[in-house]
Amino acid sequence: MTLRVIYLRAMVVQLYGMLAEAVGTARVELEAHSTHQLRQELVGRYPALDGLSFSLAVDRVLVHHDMPLTGKEEIAALPPFAGG
Amino acid sequence: MNQEKKHRVKDIFVEGPIHPDFIATSIAKHTTRTDIGAHEIFLGQVRADHVVTSSAAEVRQPVTAIEYTAYRDMALERMTAIREEAFAQWPGMTCLHVHHSLGTVKAGELCFMVFASAPHRAAAREAVAWVVDRIKAELPIFGREVLSDSTHLWKTNS
Repeated sequence: MTLRVIYLRAMVVQLYGMLAEAVGTARVELEAHSTHQLRQELVGRYPALDGLSFSLAVDRVLVHHDMPLTGKEEIAALPPFAGG
Repeated sequence: MNQEKKHRVKDIFVEGPIHPDFIATSIAKHTTRTDIGAHEIFLGQVRADHVVTSSAAEVRQPVTAIEYTAYRDMALERMTAIREEAFAQWPGMTCLHVHHSLGTVKAGELCFMVFASAPHRAAAREAVAWVVDRIKAELPIFGREVLSDSTHLWKTNS
């Protein structure tokens, strides 16, 4: 009998603005292989985010497509910008 | 001086509002740059928008202040890139100064400044307009609008 263990990459996600307020913290940890999966995990685990508009930044660059993640990236979830 | 400004990551953030005195001082610092013929300055001020807080009762309240926060590392990287692009597009530009408030800025106070200088006015005027638009679109800066009853709404750039 063989046992196969699949490791998911645990990563820190920084939350900003109304997202941090909705969840109650500026920092969460979850596991995801890709940005699309990470988004699903975020909304799934924190239903307060459901319906809120946000983009993902990987290593300080906005990513809109489905990008694979190794677990070493700096991730942030960003609500709409209001600067200037 | 141009090269230095192109490559150094400059911290654009200031705590609280930008004071008019600061703007006067900034202008005065350029007196010795006699190659400059034009300054163009954009100033963003917090406006007391009247926002709907209860659609049922059609209640509107004025914004009394905005509290700014930012994803600082990304904002500074984006700003550095915008700055480099601005100097590439307007090579005649002498200098570009950008400041943005963090923390609380009350209605009527200044929260944003883009100041460009050039030998002639076209470059300064165009660069400032372009930089302002790029910053509003690309910098991860967030604003919480504080209302007169101390509740708040999150601001979105249109």
